[in-house]
Amino acid sequence: MSLVPEGPTARGAVPHPDVHTYDEVNRDVLRALETPGKGWWALLAVAAAGVVLFFSAWGWQLYKGIGVSGLNSPVGWGVYITTFVFWVGIAHSGTLISAILFLFRSPWRQSIYRAAEAMTVFAVMTAGLFPLIHVGRLWHAYWLIPYPNSRFLWPNFKSPLVWDVFAITTYFTVSATFFYLGAIPDIAAARDRATGLRKKLYQVISLGWRGTDSQWHHFGKAYIFLAALATPLVLSVHSVVSWDFAMAIVPGWHATIFAPYFVAGAIFSGVAMVITLVVPIRKIFGLEAYLTTKHFDAMAKLCLLTSLIVLYAYLSEFFLAWYSGEEIERTAFWNRLFGDYWWATWTMLVCNGFVPIMLWFRRIRHSIPALFVISIFINIGMWFERYVIVVTSLHHEYEPFAWGIYRPSLTEMALMVGSFCWFGFWFLLFTRLLPPIAIAELKEVLPAPTRKKTGEAY
Amino acid sequence: MDDNKNMQDGLKRRDFLKVLGVSGAGATLTGCSTEEVERLLPYVVAPDDITPGVSTWYTTVCDGCSAQCGMWVRTREGRAVKVEGNPNHPVSQGGLCAKGHATLQHLYHPDRFPGPMIREGSELRQVAWEEAESLLAARLSSAQNPMLISGRMGPSLNELVNEFIEGIGGIRVSYDAISDAPLAEAARIVYGTAGIPQYDIENARFLLSFGNDFIETGSSPVAHTKGLARMSSVDTAGSKGRFVYLGSRLSLTGLNADKWIPIRPGTEAAVALAIAAVIAGDDPEVAGPYSNVLQAFNPQVAAQAAGVTEDAIFELAEDFASQAPTLALGPGVGAHHRGATAANIAVMILNHVAGNVGRTVFYDARMNGAMSAYADIEATVNAMASGESDVVMIHGANPVYSTPPQAGFAEAFAQVPFKVSFASALDETSEMADLILPDQHFLEAWGDSSPLAGVFAVQQPVMQPVPHFESKQTGDVLLSVANRLSGEGDVTTFYDYVREHHRSAHNDADGDFEDAWQELLRTGMADTRSEEASALELQSPEVALSFEVPTFDLPGDLTLLVHPSPRFGAGEFSNSPWLQELPDPVSKIVWHSWLEMNPHTAELRGIREGDIVTVTSPHGSLEVPVWLYPGIREDVVALAMGGGHTGMGRYADDKGVNALNLIPSISEQLSGALVTTVTSVTVIPTGEKRRLATVEGSDDQHDRMIAPAVALADLGHAGDDEHEEGGHGELRELQGVGGFIPVPADEGAPTAFPLEGSRHGLYAEAQEGPRWAMAIDLDKCTGCSACVTACQAENNVPWVGEEQVLMGREMSWVRIERYYEQVDATQAADLDVRFLPMICQHCGNAPCETVCPVFATYHTPEGLNAQVYNRCVGTRYCANNCPYKVRVFNWYDYTDAVPEPLNWQWNPDVTVRANGVMEKCSFCVQRIREVQNRAALEDGREVRDHEVVPACEQSCPAEAIVFGNIRDPNARITQVSASERTYRVLEPLNTQPAVNYLKKVTFHEVASVGHEE
Repeated sequence: MSLVPEGPTARGAVPHPDVHTYDEVNRDVLRALETPGKGWWALLAVAAAGVVLFFSAWGWQLYKGIGVSGLNSPVGWGVYITTFVFWVGIAHSGTLISAILFLFRSPWRQSIYRAAEAMTVFAVMTAGLFPLIHVGRLWHAYWLIPYPNSRFLWPNFKSPLVWDVFAITTYFTVSATFFYLGAIPDIAAARDRATGLRKKLYQVISLGWRGTDSQWHHFGKAYIFLAALATPLVLSVHSVVSWDFAMAIVPGWHATIFAPYFVAGAIFSGVAMVITLVVPIRKIFGLEAYLTTKHFDAMAKLCLLTSLIVLYAYLSEFFLAWYSGEEIERTAFWNRLFGDYWWATWTMLVCNGFVPIMLWFRRIRHSIPALFVISIFINIGMWFERYVIVVTSLHHEYEPFAWGIYRPSLTEMALMVGSFCWFGFWFLLFTRLLPPIAIAELKEVLPAPTRKKTGEAY
Repeated sequence: MDDNKNMQDGLKRRDFLKVLGVSGAGATLTGCSTEEVERLLPYVVAPDDITPGVSTWYTTVCDGCSAQCGMWVRTREGRAVKVEGNPNHPVSQGGLCAKGHATLQHLYHPDRFPGPMIREGSELRQVAWEEAESLLAARLSSAQNPMLISGRMGPSLNELVNEFIEGIGGIRVSYDAISDAPLAEAARIVYGTAGIPQYDIENARFLLSFGNDFIETGSSPVAHTKGLARMSSVDTAGSKGRFVYLGSRLSLTGLNADKWIPIRPGTEAAVALAIAAVIAGDDPEVAGPYSNVLQAFNPQVAAQAAGVTEDAIFELAEDFASQAPTLALGPGVGAHHRGATAANIAVMILNHVAGNVGRTVFYDARMNGAMSAYADIEATVNAMASGESDVVMIHGANPVYSTPPQAGFAEAFAQVPFKVSFASALDETSEMADLILPDQHFLEAWGDSSPLAGVFAVQQPVMQPVPHFESKQTGDVLLSVANRLSGEGDVTTFYDYVREHHRSAHNDADGDFEDAWQELLRTGMADTRSEEASALELQSPEVALSFEVPTFDLPGDLTLLVHPSPRFGAGEFSNSPWLQELPDPVSKIVWHSWLEMNPHTAELRGIREGDIVTVTSPHGSLEVPVWLYPGIREDVVALAMGGGHTGMGRYADDKGVNALNLIPSISEQLSGALVTTVTSVTVIPTGEKRRLATVEGSDDQHDRMIAPAVALADLGHAGDDEHEEGGHGELRELQGVGGFIPVPADEGAPTAFPLEGSRHGLYAEAQEGPRWAMAIDLDKCTGCSACVTACQAENNVPWVGEEQVLMGREMSWVRIERYYEQVDATQAADLDVRFLPMICQHCGNAPCETVCPVFATYHTPEGLNAQVYNRCVGTRYCANNCPYKVRVFNWYDYTDAVPEPLNWQWNPDVTVRANGVMEKCSFCVQRIREVQNRAALEDGREVRDHEVVPACEQSCPAEAIVFGNIRDPNARITQVSASERTYRVLEPLNTQPAVNYLKKVTFHEVASVGHEE
């Protein structure tokens, strides 16, 4: 679709060669909020059905007991924790793109960061449900939160699960704030065009944004401050999540490499998920001019880099298991490759280690369909990575007589699939309620309006 | 019940016991009805014996099998909640097997009959005892050849039944599903003695078992386990008795042998006689009238018959002759073939030649056992089928299930016009009855036992009958019916009858009978044995004996071994969920049957584990999954009894297959015993397969030193071998740098507690208190699994069912791990199988404690790793981080599935856990507290050593478990743990467990297993 009839052919470093004016930006981006197409409604219906499935399955589990999962002894953690870590990982790249790349003044972030941030918030919202789904007694889960109580009992601050509570809640608070703050000028832009109820809503949540100098001044300060605050969180959250494993003495978990390994994996999966989400948005809302191959190329490169880090982590784990000479550790990793769950391990290796090799080729990086397919592979691979870590390590632990096999149950699968719908549900609502591309920031990288074409709106 | 009213009047203990005893009868006399309104009434004046919250103990006798072990029963608020072994009992000497524990479930079993029942058409109608007894009396008065088929009975009941049968002019037939008849017959032929011989296993130095599974079945499994453990464990002098097992399949008993000689089925006689011949040497006259038999057998012949080498037999003979005192045990109840009596005679000759009679085997002890002849049942079937008897009564037996279908018992029984069953709970036989007069459970009833000549024990009721069931003990029923028949009407109770029985045996010179009787009730038994053992001479056999290898029915290429189950016996225990869920000590399978097959045989036939096969004998066929077992000969397959019930109740029906369907109804010629190892079978895969409900992950230790062993020759040389520490020198160094230095295992020092650097918080005050610890001697542990059920009973551990076990969710707090080290089914070779009871290790440096986010698991100042159920959120992180995998999770509200009144068994001192919480072994913390509270009340005295006995230790027939305060230098636990064999599982992880294991001692060299290459 060609939104802009003509334009300058060469714009140097300008990332959006086909966008000319501020008005175009407003019009193109905000149009996404106006007329929902049939496709959107269809997707929303699917997502809503999935949400119903999700909560029915959860309700069933609460009614019957956690036994409706396939979990057992020795595999006390399974699909729920796998999916939890998966969504926490997904949550990473949003803040990475919005905060870290902002601090580094990376020119390609503007078009994608809003979607990435939304993804982050919704992914944390999804991830945060899984520890609750996972525990045996949901009604007592609040005991993990430190609050003054008559029993003078605090949570055990030595437990990585308590760290998790802090890490996840902090991350959610900061990323949600950051997301909201960054969106305020755009909400105001939407307010200016909206009518009726929507206008009222935007009026409230745009907090009276008028675009004055002093507002912009404060906005810029707050934004950079929050970016600086969010940056360490990107690294810390998944490090903490990785310590759920690394702090345990389970062979296959207990490794110092876990924190960087998990952070890299998180960025890897997060960026892949951004690609997976942005490709359809671009298509459905006709934002090709804003999301160009340049953006995808940059994201593909980030994927490639993190894929290499992750592959390196895999290989070093195998190598160190062998090199340690520790028989139990060796058996654990041998079992990963050739044991009962070999298929999961090989899925992980192929999807995360080998498929991304294709990203070395510029033609692939510039092919949106190819990237979309690869990103799906990475999503699958990263889910399996967590499955491999959680399940294969637990099912063959120290005591050979206590070894066991875990088979996920239908309820677990329903909750896993349902979590994607839950996430998708929120994301679909987001695409209709907030500008999916950061209007204000996009305008910053457009050339300043000239007087040649008088009469155009600013 | 009216008795409740009496109890409020404040009775003396003696009177209370009387009340207990006559309550069944009393209920009948006053026509107790169920219409009584139930009200919750507190004790206004509490009975003397019942203090709420304090348990009362009674001695009684376990009536689970013919062994009749002494029992202590713990009651709380008038309910029996736990049964334990009575250490003062002369035969069992403490300890109790898993079956013994499970008798408690039969007491409260929901499948018990609610009251007397009369058949009306296809329905059973519950009636009053009055009506039921009148009906029986009426039928008996006009009966023609009334017959009573009865199982095991105590002496008093036996006498009463004999009088009763005589009075009605009836016929009495004894029937034991599993019987030691060949042994008894052999003893009668060879020595002219009655009863079955008593063995002194403990004092033998060399033990030969010819397929005798004496620690799981037979005359006294608990006593024999104790004997084996004492005999085969290394003593302070560094000496250890050797145990060699000859048989075609390693039973649990076989797995405890030091050497396995896998002989062909039926060749025991040949081998025993060959050994005897070698020992006798040039002087066959030592075998007296059997010297000609010895001359006919030599190692060459025997070796060929048995499929082993001649050298193996010579070696055995040499050891057997040189390592006196020795003991040989003939084929037991699990290996009855067509020559079973002859085989027992051959072993008796061997014992005689080796000079063991009067030293380790006593034929004149008149040990009671299950000795009935199956041949009698065959005759009974004919009598029933021909309509000779119009009333048949059955007591303590379930022949419809436990006879081979070919016997036609069920069909013949169905033709009897009036069938009476005294069964207390439903089974296949009582299902067919026209009149059911439910007997009381032995914990509710009076009785007595004499397991051995000169030993008497009284079985006293420990509680009022379970009110859900209007049961009446058979003795009372018979007395009442007899009174009706004779019209006399002077009701005497069976309690009086038992007392009378003992009064008549009482010698007034020994003091007042009343005092003696009270003493008997208090201690549980009277031992009047004389010490002398007379030397017995071999007698010439009055019957022709053949020691040839017996025949097996053809066609078929694999010999089928049908053996009693260590858990279910012949199936009488199958309706207990505890036993159903108790992993079979050999296969570790629960809830279903399996066919044992050598892996090599299976490979040749393309059969894999879990494949469902059709097993066909000339007498029947059935479908069963295969379990691959290296401990069985390649030409043999084995099936355990006890499965495939069809009318026994909710926990037994449709679980597995009935092995008896494959065998013919044939009795052994000399003894009349049912022949079980009698046929060959063909095994054909059906193409279907299933997952076995096993609790076993891997049977291989993977060189992880979970259950290491030490060679006898290496004992006393600790430290000579650099591998002794497991090769962790460098690791130690690293841990030293990190401040974590494990206490060296080789010094046997108790684990330091609290850990260095952890003296803060709760630990700050932990300097003075006890540090509870446990030692488990793997040289004694036989893997019998009694502790598993004991723990389940004590700690309200739920059972979860087959489906949940298949998912890997068994709840047991004790896991008996079984690892194969050396099992060779092809030749005589050293055998090395390791059993290891794995429980919570109560680590000083527990990995589970640090990861729990809510302190649901934490360390108590006494060193216990406590689990606070109410605090648990259910993250299961602790279970993941437990290297021993001893934490189990409540995936559902498993206790919801426990039907009334089975839940009456629950221990009121232990929480019943809810859905979603973690649980594990607590070191029986409730018992620790009970003892500490008692000590505090008794002038604040110290808790004595061995005063706290956890359920597993109490139950352990092998005396392998010791518990105590390891801070006390004089405590048994401290002394036992100081052994050079002491080690801790996965010690390099620095978890600092409180459970010390003592390595198994082997005769053969053990490969040093270190973590270094």
